[in-house]
Formats: sequence, C-alpha cells, structure tokens
Amino acid sequence: MRAIKGILLTCDAAVKQILLIMNEKESFIIEDLDDHHVVIKAEHEWRVRQDLESELEKNTYSVD
Amino acid sequence: MSGKRYSEAGSSQPAKRQRTDGDDEFHLANEDDVIPPSPPDTSYVPRGATINLGALTRKLAETKTSKTSRQPVSSSDGHRQQQDKLISYIFMNQDFSWLHLKADHTSRPLWISPEDGHIILEAFSPIAEQAQDFLTAIAEPVSRPAMIHEYKLTSYSLYAAVSVGLQTNDIIEVLNRLSKVPVPDSIVEFIRNCTLSYGKVKLVLKHNRYFVESSHPETLQVLLRDNVIREARLISAPTDQSIKATTFTTSKAPTRGDLVIPGTKESEKKKADSTDPAAPQNGKTSDADLFTSVVGVESDEIDEDDDNVHAFEIKDDRIDDVKKRCNEIEYPMLEEYDFRNDTINANLDIDLKPATVIRPYQETSLSKMFGNGRARSGIIVLPCGAGKTLVGITAACTIKKSCLVLCTSSVSVMQWKQQFMQWSNITDRQIAVFTADQKEKFAGESGIVVSTYSMVANTHNRSHESKKMMEFLTSREWGFILLDEVHVVPAAMFRRVVTTIKAHSKLGLTATLVREDDKIADLNYMIGPKLYEANWMDLAAKGHIANVQCAEVWCPMTPEFYHQYLVEQSRKRMLLYCMNPNKFQSCQFLIKYHEDRGDKIIVFSDNVFALEAYARRLGKLFIHGGVGQVERMLILSKFQHDPRVNTIFLSKVGDTSIDLPEATCLIQISSHFGSRRQEAQRLGRILRAKRRNDEGFNAFFYSLVSKDTQEMYYSTKRQQFLIDQGYAFKVITHLDGLENLDDLVYRTQDEQIELLQSVLIANDNDADLGSDVRAVEGDLAGTVTSKDFGPTKFPAAQRTTGSLSALSGGQHMSYVEQNKSANKAISRAGPAPRHKLFAKRDKDKASARKEATKG
Repeated sequence: MRAIKGILLTCDAAVKQILLIMNEKESFIIEDLDDHHVVIKAEHEWRVRQDLESELEKNTYSVD
Repeated sequence: MSGKRYSEAGSSQPAKRQRTDGDDEFHLANEDDVIPPSPPDTSYVPRGATINLGALTRKLAETKTSKTSRQPVSSSDGHRQQQDKLISYIFMNQDFSWLHLKADHTSRPLWISPEDGHIILEAFSPIAEQAQDFLTAIAEPVSRPAMIHEYKLTSYSLYAAVSVGLQTNDIIEVLNRLSKVPVPDSIVEFIRNCTLSYGKVKLVLKHNRYFVESSHPETLQVLLRDNVIREARLISAPTDQSIKATTFTTSKAPTRGDLVIPGTKESEKKKADSTDPAAPQNGKTSDADLFTSVVGVESDEIDEDDDNVHAFEIKDDRIDDVKKRCNEIEYPMLEEYDFRNDTINANLDIDLKPATVIRPYQETSLSKMFGNGRARSGIIVLPCGAGKTLVGITAACTIKKSCLVLCTSSVSVMQWKQQFMQWSNITDRQIAVFTADQKEKFAGESGIVVSTYSMVANTHNRSHESKKMMEFLTSREWGFILLDEVHVVPAAMFRRVVTTIKAHSKLGLTATLVREDDKIADLNYMIGPKLYEANWMDLAAKGHIANVQCAEVWCPMTPEFYHQYLVEQSRKRMLLYCMNPNKFQSCQFLIKYHEDRGDKIIVFSDNVFALEAYARRLGKLFIHGGVGQVERMLILSKFQHDPRVNTIFLSKVGDTSIDLPEATCLIQISSHFGSRRQEAQRLGRILRAKRRNDEGFNAFFYSLVSKDTQEMYYSTKRQQFLIDQGYAFKVITHLDGLENLDDLVYRTQDEQIELLQSVLIANDNDADLGSDVRAVEGDLAGTVTSKDFGPTKFPAAQRTTGSLSALSGGQHMSYVEQNKSANKAISRAGPAPRHKLFAKRDKDKASARKEATKG
C-alpha cells in the first residue's frame, strides 16, 4: 500500500464547487468529505491556491 | 537641517546638480522629507526653489535608482527616513511626501497635487464649507464622500471661474491660504495660463453664419497659422475695402450697454432675486453688477485698445474641429450670447408663472449660466428628481428667444411640452412638437420646438413632412438650445445636431455625467464646460431629495446553483445568479420586513424571466413590457392607493418613465451589468419620495448580489457613481431572522433543485435583459423612456392527449392552477363597483339632467 501525502482544506460551499470543477481538469482531490472539507494531494496545494485566487479575483472590481 | 538644504538647493542651480549626481540626490530628497516638527517659515524660503527641487527629485524617484545615502544622518532622522522608504514605494510616482507642510497646516483644509491639479479637501474641517464654495467655483468636483472630497482644476473650470469675475491673483491667493502646502509652481502657472488666454477669441453667430471674432488681430493671425483652423475658414467674396479687410472683416466692437455698472459687494450675492419670476432680468443684472465690478475693468481696457473687432468666417460643418483645436492651442473660444442686445432675433413672450418658485440650488446653477448678464453655454448636473426640467424652463424664460428642446424619446418630448405649459405662461400656439407622429410649427416669429435627438440628427431618407420641418429648423437662428439627458447621446449624433442647428447658446442637463465609454470629454467642447454640479448630500440634508440608506446584500449561492454556474456559459449564468434561492429568500425577507414597517416597495429586475418567477412565487403584482396598458394602470393605481398592495415588481420599464412618489424602499434583484447610470436612475425613483420631509425619514435602497459571481464585480462598479456623490453602501452578509420566517420559500434542498431545473430548461433568450422593451422610432438606442412596450403576447395553444371521458370530466379530474400570477386576481376583480346607494343616486341625477335638457 502506497501512502499519499494529503492536506485537509476547509472552505465554504462556493469555493468547494470551484475546486470540484478544477478537479475535473486535473485531478487532485483525494477525498470529498462534506460541503466544507476536502482532502487534496499535498503537492498540488500551492497551484490550487494560485488558481483559486485568480478565479475569485475575476469577480472583484478595482477602481482603475 | 532641511531649511538649510532648501536655500542651498535654491541658490545653486538645482536642475544641473540633480542631473549630474542624480542617484545621491534621490536620498537627499528623502532627507528633506524628514521635516522637524516646526518647518521653516515658507516666507523666507524661495518657494520656487523648493518646488523645483521637489519636482526633480520626484522624477528621479520614478526611475527608482536607489543606493545608500551619501551623508550620515542623525538617528531620529534616520528612523524617519527608514519609515519613508518603507511606505513610499507603495505610492510609486504618486509619492508626494516631499511636499512641505506649512507650520499651521492643521488649520488649513486642503492639499494640492502638483502633478494633475487634483485638490483634496478635508470636509470635516471647520472652514470646509467656505472652501467648498470656493472650490466649486474654480474646480470640478470629482468625488464627494463624507469626509474627504476630491476636486480637479481644469482649464474649463478656470475659464468658468474667470468669467464669473474671479481674478487670477485672487484664485492663487485664496488657494494658498487654504492649502496645507504652498501652491505648487506648476499649478500657479497652469492657473495663469488658463486665465490669461481666456476671452480673447469669441465664436459669434451672426445672420446664421459663424465668425471667429477677436479684438486682437494678432490673435487671429496666430489662429490662422494653425492648419485645422485655416482649412475651416470660409473665404468670403473680396468686397471689403479697408486695408485690414484683406485678412479679416472688421466691424465696430459691440457696445457693452448697461452691463458694466460697478456695484458694491453684497453679502448675499447668490440670493439675487431670480426667484422673482416677474423680473428675472433684474436679478441677473444685480448679479452681473458684482461680477462685472471685477470683470468690467478688463473689458474696458480691451475696448480702449481697439474699437474694432476683427473676424473671419468659418464653415458650419467645421465648427467642432475649430473649437476643439482652439482648446488645444489654448485659445479657448468664448461662446456667450448677449441675448438682451440681440435685436435681430424676435423676442419670445415667455415668463414663469407667478406661482412658480425655484429652489436655491436651481438658482445657483442658473446664476452660473447667466453670471455676467449673458448666456453661457454649458452643462448643469442635478440629481434625478431635483427639478432639472424647471431649471431648463427658467433658463428659456430668461433668454426669451426661440428655443429648441431636444430629448431622448418621444415620451419625454410630451413630458417637456407639458412641463412648459405647467410652469410658464407659454401658449399652446407657441410650443410645437416634432416627432415621428407629430410635425408642428409654431405660429409667429418665435416659439419653442420640442423634439428628439434622432429626429434632428437623422440623415437617412425622411418623409416629405420631416424634410420640410428640418428645413424650418435649420433655416433659422435659435437663441437657445436645451439638451436633455445629455450624457446618453452618441458623439457622432451630437455633432450632427450641433452643426446643423444654429444656436446662440446651449444648455445640457443631466443627472449622471458618466458614461461607460470615454466620450464625456467630447461634451466639453461640443456644448461647454460643466457649469454646476449639485452636491447630492447637501440637497438631501436640506430636504430637497430624500435621505437614502444604501445596502448591498450578499446572498451565498447554493452549492447546486453554483456548480451549474461554473459549468454554464455566460448568458445562462446571469439567470442562475438571479434565481439563486438564497436571493429569493433574502428578497422575501426584505419585503416582509419593510411591509411591516409600512414602506412601499419597488423591486427591480432587468431580467423578465426572473421578475415573473419572483412575483408569482411571492404573490406580488408585477409590470413588464408584456403587461397590457389597462392592467398596468390598474396595478399602478393599486400600488398608490390600496393599503394592501405594498410591493410591486418592475422591469426596466420602471427605470425612468414611471413616477411613483409613494415608494420608499427599493430592492434590486437583477440589473444591467455595470451601468452606473442605471443605478443612479433607480435611486432617483425614491429620491422624490413624498414622505421625505418627515422627521427622521429614510428611504432604503438594497442591491441583492449573489456571492462569488460576476454580479459582485458589476455591483461594485455600478456603485461608483453614487459613492462619488457621497453615498455609502453598507454590506449585509447575513439577514438576521431570515431562518425564522414562517413561509420561507425554497427552504428544502428538493425545492431548490426543482427551481434549478426550471432555470435550466428555460430558453436561452430568457436570460436576456430588458427584452420586454421595444424602442419607438425616434428614441435613442439604449434609453428606456418609452411607455410603448412590445406587442402583448398571447399564450400559444397547447395540445394534450387524453381520453374523451377524462376530458369531459368523467374521471373526476379537476383543474387547479398552481403559482398563479397575482396580476390576474386584480384584473378580474377590476375597479371596485360603486356602492348600490351611490349607483342609484348617479342614475337619478343623470335622468334628472336629461329631463332638464329636454324641458
């Protein structure tokens, strides 16, 4: 049995939906626990955070 | 230490030194920033020197050449320097920490940016009010929230300042007195340049031809050296004899008449009696008096220099280019109309009705327009519901010449005509309407024509009648042209209007001088500068418009909806975030909450599908394009008079054309992307609330926004205009007590999924916004002022299969309609029949009358 290093992410319901969509492109979710918790592969954590950030940034208006 | 530094830098040539060892000088600047608590008295430090040094160090700061400091600094200074370094990179080239504060800066209310002429005002300062009065006279307001205001010095605003009689040195001196920092040299120079060249060149309309006029032939020579202007020049037949006439036509300078009467300064100059409608002229002259006491001197000098004015004619269709070019080469053309001395155009007998009273801010705006006894062209910005129409009418009554009013749609044409009849003593014969359906001319030599932009600007083939009407419009000289909703008109259309119609003065009216494109600047040379912009907060404080509490309610998307949202394409997305069950619940909660408070509520939705779904589910009345005229009137009157009907749902049709002074609460569930104008227009629906003068009355304006969607982006963008006007949006992330609502809709997941299904099977077209509104010929695209909606749709017939016995009722089948529209209930009921007693009495009366006429 090979062990996979995982990280527990706590997020709100909407972010979890974004994660699920992202997961379809490139799989990184190990276990989908409930509406607010997922376990993801540790090596993907940084990339996932980056992508999530840019995705959420799209809905923010800045004055310039 | 810093004091020494200044004088040193000032005495040697700072520019050269800077260039030779720029790297080190950068840090020198930082040292200069380290101002000891008591800065040197600016009076003995040459001001130019400090600024020059500053400007250069800033330039160097931009290149971001940073090395270690050459000179050792004391420990405390070093600490400050460290601090400056820590933060100054954040501001990049906006870092103005090198500006030196005056010793008593805390008691002075404003800063001036040396770069772009922006002025930042502390609105909480005790002398802020006086400072504001001054700033609105010399600068344009950019943003006016509660505490800090921002103004901008522009050449236009300075021209306006000079033309009302402020003098260059006074402007600079007062600015300096109010400013925390010495007025930067760049700004002083800017002010001098703008104010000196002002008024040298005039654009004059004579006998239907445009002339560029000046009493300085040299100035005209300068202008003619410019290519654009030379090409636009119309060479008239060489019948002139004088020597100068080879270049220009020369004529006697127009006498200034009784305008220059040096008056004493009255403390209440704004109170000049333009409220007295019987004698607006008198009011204007007394205004003129005090202004000309300053301005008149200058004008007299010009007259002494040369009694003659020189002019050359320019082609009609190049007016715009010439005007624009003149601004570029800093010889702005003055467009003033001396209407009282105009004997060529016939006077129009028009006055405000004696009962008409105009409000103080309307007076102020008009006094800016007629500041020196002449009509100046420009734009007046007043909030929705603050009486723009009356300002326009009063202006027309002051000029008393033929007047052309242009608006955006045929509906507002009729409204303008009706308003003219209501406020002024004009007769039906003198006011004419030119729309697609009606083409009238006024009787007599002068009058008023009301039309739409597209009717006048239309270049396509016209009917014979319109052609004749256009000839009538273009053949004559207009004293005054009134442009309603001036911000929505496309620049090209505008240019056609301005060039085909010959008018002496133009006045633009608008509530929101914002556009989503950058065409605003064009208005400046096509019409004129912004003459006046009302402070919304001020008007609200004085009770002219209602106090409004704005709030943005964040509704989280349910997981199912959000999942679909992420999967779907853009058009359906919109429908998904409108129909978000949490938004539904919030809407229901807010309606319930405000109905219990006794508010009358309007719910706005641009999306017709969502509108109908909400209204049906919540059992409220709704109006959209598909609702027939009769039903609509019925619903509106129910809303106004029936205490049981406190909420209606309106689509885009309600943005402008429906006036409901009863409404005190607004809820937005769907809107037109990031349109700042729509937001302001919708807010305008409750600004004229009837109850606004009640003690402690507040109107409420809610935007429901689905979290984590594009709507968040649009919502913030939409608010920008209102924020600049000083409104603050509260964000509500959770509505307290929402869960405890008894009949909360879509409480269970099953219901929510059912709703999602209905959204998913909805037609793609249902996601469109404002699909229910049809434009009439003559309306501007994108304006929703039309009351004529699209054709009423009849529901298509449906086919179902079933056995004969079942269809004839043999199987005990009954028909129940679920989720009925509340509209149907009232239209069936119709207006309540009169009580039997009165009905009988009416009948008796009628028969008695019949008898009487017979006998």
